[in-house]
Amino acid sequence: MDAKRNMAKEPQPREGEPRQMEGLGLESVIERAQGHDVEALGEIYRRYVRRVFGLCRYMLTSREGAEDATSEVFLKLQRSIESYDGSIPFPRWLLRVAGNQCIDALRRRQRGLKVFVEVEEGSAVIEATSSEPSPLGAVISTQERAQVRDTIARLPENYRVPLVLRYYGELSYDEIAHELGLERNYVAALIFRSKQELRRRMAPRSK
Amino acid sequence: MECYSEQICALAVDGELAPDEARRLRDHLATCRRCRKLVDALRAENHVLSESLHELPEEAASPAVFSHLRRSWVWGDLAVLAAVLALGSIGAIWFDRLSIPAALEWFNPFSAGGRTNLIFSLFDFASGGTAMLTEYAAVVGFLSLLLLLGGGALLLGRGRLRQPGLRLLIVLLVLSLPSFALERRKGEFVTVAANETVDDTLMAAGNTVRIEGVVNGDLLAVGQTVEVSGTVKGDLLTLAKRTVVSGTVEGRIYTFSESLDLDGQLGHSIYGFAQALRVNERGHVGEGLVAAAGDISLEGEVKRSVDILTSGNADVSGSIGRDLTMSGVSLTLTNTARVGGNLSARVRQLSEAHIADGATIVGKRDIQVQQAKKSQFARPRFYFHQAVWFAAAMLVGWLGLVLFPRFFRSTTQAVGSTWLSLGLGVGILAGVPVAVVVVAITLIGLPISLMLFAVYLTAIYLAKIWVGAFLGRMLLKPSGATKGDWMLGLLVGLLILAIVGFIPYLGGLVRLGVVCLGLGAFAGQLYRASRPAIMA
Repeated sequence: MDAKRNMAKEPQPREGEPRQMEGLGLESVIERAQGHDVEALGEIYRRYVRRVFGLCRYMLTSREGAEDATSEVFLKLQRSIESYDGSIPFPRWLLRVAGNQCIDALRRRQRGLKVFVEVEEGSAVIEATSSEPSPLGAVISTQERAQVRDTIARLPENYRVPLVLRYYGELSYDEIAHELGLERNYVAALIFRSKQELRRRMAPRSK
Repeated sequence: MECYSEQICALAVDGELAPDEARRLRDHLATCRRCRKLVDALRAENHVLSESLHELPEEAASPAVFSHLRRSWVWGDLAVLAAVLALGSIGAIWFDRLSIPAALEWFNPFSAGGRTNLIFSLFDFASGGTAMLTEYAAVVGFLSLLLLLGGGALLLGRGRLRQPGLRLLIVLLVLSLPSFALERRKGEFVTVAANETVDDTLMAAGNTVRIEGVVNGDLLAVGQTVEVSGTVKGDLLTLAKRTVVSGTVEGRIYTFSESLDLDGQLGHSIYGFAQALRVNERGHVGEGLVAAAGDISLEGEVKRSVDILTSGNADVSGSIGRDLTMSGVSLTLTNTARVGGNLSARVRQLSEAHIADGATIVGKRDIQVQQAKKSQFARPRFYFHQAVWFAAAMLVGWLGLVLFPRFFRSTTQAVGSTWLSLGLGVGILAGVPVAVVVVAITLIGLPISLMLFAVYLTAIYLAKIWVGAFLGRMLLKPSGATKGDWMLGLLVGLLILAIVGFIPYLGGLVRLGVVCLGLGAFAGQLYRASRPAIMA
């Protein structure tokens, strides 16, 4: 576990709307929520619903599925928040819970979800060949960012899910491996390959 | 020293390299320009990925999810209101010593009253149960108004619901304004005596509603028998088994009755839906008559046009000022009949049209067998109607976008889950009327069921707007999501729906499909919006 890695607790300005609880620090809100304070749970919802929904949306592709998963996450939060011990930043913990929820949903949808259970031997290390497209350049325009999102959304599940967990959920390889029930090396390979696939798909569009 | 592979560099950039290996890579980077460039590029790529992903598209800021909690508060409040209303109703029934089975008896289609069809059994209940209904409708109505106002204020007070709370209050105020000018009367017999004058609009409910005096406003009457032998200065709206007007109604008559008899004077028109509709010899209609009825008999005078749709016979022996347009099984014009304009009739067989030699028809006669429909496309009026229909739909769409933007958009997107929406829609289309009837006989009673029915009709109307908007967006695939884009999509979608809707046979099927789809999407979205996220 890479829990010690210092990750700043973001204030989440994007999520918050001016509320009476806004002034409170995240720690005290969480503390109250752990004491079953409905207002505090509501505040957490307000601050993070967009982040969580975003993760679910990327992972599940269907909007309804994402909405369902999001409600599930916050519904379960009433109980599960007690298990949050502060060893990792709360947003990351919450996104892990959400990722878990989505993976469950994916597994339910396609019994077994083979892509995540069969570890291919020898696939852990992949050498980049010279024919591979080089890393995506500094994409700046809104439109190009939308293209990146779009392309990610269209990636096959086994590529999309680790990629989203890593770069949206900001989970570590270990955490992703734990969630998916895979070897850490395999996760690394999946992420590496999915980036290459992404580049390949983006190549005809961007120069 | 050998260069590192891209995968190792990627691991390093992701912060996933073991510390000693990371240190060795750092040392290498200090000397190797190629690897440094690769690491920089990978870092930039990660930045792009994370930035792109974090910038959620507008659509992803889900209305349904984003407002889950807020809605759950609303629904929580509504649940409290409903509970109080139900308790209030139970209390009212208790005090009235009226029991539900007694009310149910009225609805029993196998009882004596059940000889008539199911719908009229409902009216039997409505009229027979009015003693009970009106008794607590007043209490419940008052309570609910108070509670809703209080609830609206509560929502406003909570701050986070300022917008919806304000809207709710506005809607409530608008809805409740007319009721301030209402006078309500209830009882077994509701009578406005000959020497009596009611200055307001009168809402009367009873077994028999008899107006012998004067009602200066409109009269809304629900009952077994509604008789107007006095004067109603406004409109007459009846929901009754039997409606008899032998006095004067200066406005219009809107009726939903088993039978309507007009013996007296009517200032304007009749709009009716009845099993039997009769304008008797002494009856006089100041304007026209538009009706769908089992059988229609016109012995009196109608100053303007008559448009009727019957499932049985139309007998005319009186006088019609302008055109007579009918569609039905048979038509009879006697010697005394007079049509001041054109006669156009669609009957099942030509032999079913009996026009006596003495009958006067000033304009053209056009009697055809029903199938030979004159093309509606040839009439300019058709295009006018379509234009109005279209403008109204666009206006409603615009209002929806402005007032409830998130709900509007998410419902439109919900149309996309085609089969789910379609299935749900079929269920609702068929199920809600049943629910309306069932609700009418349970606790909250008729007022709620009528409201439910109104919502049902509204939802049916809205269906084409969701589907139209969805279709438009699907075809145009606009890059943006401004109001302009949505309205353009709606315009295109509605145009297509309108045109496809006029294809014979297929069009009807498409319209039905559109209604089901739209209804399903709407209901699904309502359901989704109503599910609490945090409040269990």
